[in-house]
Amino acid sequence: MGRLFAVNLEGKIYTCRHCRTHLALSEDVISKSFHCRHGKAYLFNKVVNVTEGELEERLMMTGMHVVADIFCVGCGSIVGWKYETAHEKNQKYKEGKSVLERIKVLGPDGNNHWINHEAHIGGSD
Amino acid sequence: MGGLEDGLPPSKRLRSSSAGSSSVLSGSTAEEQPIAAALFRDSMAQILQCQGQEETIGSRGLIKRIEFVRLISDALYALGYKRSGACLEEESGIPLHSADVSLLMQYVLEGNWDEGASTLHKIGLEDETIIKSAKFLILEQKFLEFLEAGKTLDALMTLRTEISPLHVRTSRVHELSSCLLSRSVNQNGLSCNGSLKAKLRSEVLDELQKLLPPTVVVPERRLEHLVEQALNLQRGTCVFHNSSDWDMSLYTDHHCGRDNIPRHTSQILEGHQDEVWNLQFSHEGKYLASASTDRSAIIWEVGKYGEATLKHRLCGHQKPVSQVSWSLDDQQLLTCGAEETVRRWDVSSGKCLQIYEKAGIPVVSCAWSPDGRSIFAGFADKSICVWDLNGNELECWKGQKTLKISDLEITGNGRKIISMCRETAILLLDRETNEEKLIEEDQMITSFSLSNDSKLLLVNLLNQEIHLWTIDGDVKLLAKYKGHKRSRFLIRSCFGGLDQSFIASGSEDSQVYIWHRGSGQLVDILPGHSGAVNCVSWNPVDPHMLASASDDRTIRIWGLHEANIKPRVLQSNGTHHCNGKI
Repeated sequence: MGRLFAVNLEGKIYTCRHCRTHLALSEDVISKSFHCRHGKAYLFNKVVNVTEGELEERLMMTGMHVVADIFCVGCGSIVGWKYETAHEKNQKYKEGKSVLERIKVLGPDGNNHWINHEAHIGGSD
Repeated sequence: MGGLEDGLPPSKRLRSSSAGSSSVLSGSTAEEQPIAAALFRDSMAQILQCQGQEETIGSRGLIKRIEFVRLISDALYALGYKRSGACLEEESGIPLHSADVSLLMQYVLEGNWDEGASTLHKIGLEDETIIKSAKFLILEQKFLEFLEAGKTLDALMTLRTEISPLHVRTSRVHELSSCLLSRSVNQNGLSCNGSLKAKLRSEVLDELQKLLPPTVVVPERRLEHLVEQALNLQRGTCVFHNSSDWDMSLYTDHHCGRDNIPRHTSQILEGHQDEVWNLQFSHEGKYLASASTDRSAIIWEVGKYGEATLKHRLCGHQKPVSQVSWSLDDQQLLTCGAEETVRRWDVSSGKCLQIYEKAGIPVVSCAWSPDGRSIFAGFADKSICVWDLNGNELECWKGQKTLKISDLEITGNGRKIISMCRETAILLLDRETNEEKLIEEDQMITSFSLSNDSKLLLVNLLNQEIHLWTIDGDVKLLAKYKGHKRSRFLIRSCFGGLDQSFIASGSEDSQVYIWHRGSGQLVDILPGHSGAVNCVSWNPVDPHMLASASDDRTIRIWGLHEANIKPRVLQSNGTHHCNGKI
């Protein structure tokens, strides 16, 4: 693979679990109450070092949306999805924002957050 | 097209007095009655009308007959074909200059200044300031000629009663009067400084012609100028133009074929054992340096017929080599290990002359100073430093001057340092004035490259666009190029071809992309590599030679002709390369 172009973030960083590529900053978290098939997911204002897949219509718990899966540029693994359009008015706030699946990323303190655990195991996220 | 039919003599014709030109051919005009020049009118449209000639020619009615014929007359005279010029004036009835302008020109050449000055009012000038400036020219010459002839009293009278009342160019009037004073003091005729000597009368005429509007006096060689303009336009819009200009013909519109672009693989170089990330031709085009993740750099020698052979393999770096940089004289090469050190190599021997590093801070980029006496480097702590050749630090710019992944360039005069200071901005730092200019984009910048003349910067963006900026003087965006693919890697692009008229870029889809710089048009896409093309370099000396570096571990040389290539399997012990047959 060529010379990877990856942006370096500074601060409290979420990184790809597999290759540690920087993905997002803690301060860009909008909501921690999202869910995906594998458990919790966080909505971020801004996510870096990802490539987008094809746009498709998907029925989410909150209604119909047009989304694209996002992949880590470092290792290519899928890390979440990005909202392109939301059909419902009260879901419009998601447009342009991205979701990272909690199980795919390492938190700022290197904490792994396993599914089915509601309580945090030490440290903040 | 309108106009007279052949063989039909016109009923009326005005013969211009053509005071400045020589005799007129009498043969074809035997039947005409010469009409006195005094009946010459300003409105030549009336002349044409009574001859039945149309006012405009050409398929779009854009060209005025009168202007066209006058330009041709001027062109004939300029070429030295005086008789033809006069014949055209006569046959068309369209004089190059009106009778009064011809008289004016005659008066100036004869030194008949007073008549000349009064004729200025008759040649149809509307602008008072032009009349005054023209008068000034004529009277100034009168003054200076008086001075040279020793007629100081006459000169004084001219200055006082004729030149001063015009109230133009007062500083020049002062010069003239002080010259007059010094003359009358130095009776032995010492001349004043050069600008106060009388010019040749023909020079005065030239200056006068430049002053008068083009409708009164046709600008000299205007037809030549228009033709050259058209040729330049054709050349500029020819998107494949990549050969020297002498084969431009007036008979057909200039239109190069695609066969002028290097689009065929002429060689596959298989010297590296891992991905090739960077490559660059030397300034004279005799060498090509390549950098690879196999932690080596290779210097290839380009032979007389464009065939490249491995000259030296430069080993020593412990990390992938991310960059190469040629000294201005092509005798030395810098290589940069990715977040490691800089090494300086001697090109002819292949020996490593010096290693440059800073304790604890990895180097991320390097560049030669154009004088070859110092080396610039960007560091992981975002500072930029300069070393002398022995490794002593000469200067350092701290603070956010560069980024961890950023290119570093120095302009050809050594004055400006160019580096990415923010994700979306490039810093142009003037070393002498410490002035900082910025190129600001609204997307993240991945790489950039500087043109040969240091006036243009090509910026690669995260969103798969390449932007062209001018950095000489005002910083402005000139053009955008799109089409190639980039989503994960650092892909580089470059200038190249004749006059750097093209932009080439690598792409993640394994192809080389070429655009015409002026029009932004995508000119060609070159398939062949089997991995992402990371970097391209166009031979600065040969517009038909392009090199590309790829993840497939090979370098391809592209040229004008197809070659018989069978890429061989890479051997593990190999400094192995393959020469194509051309």
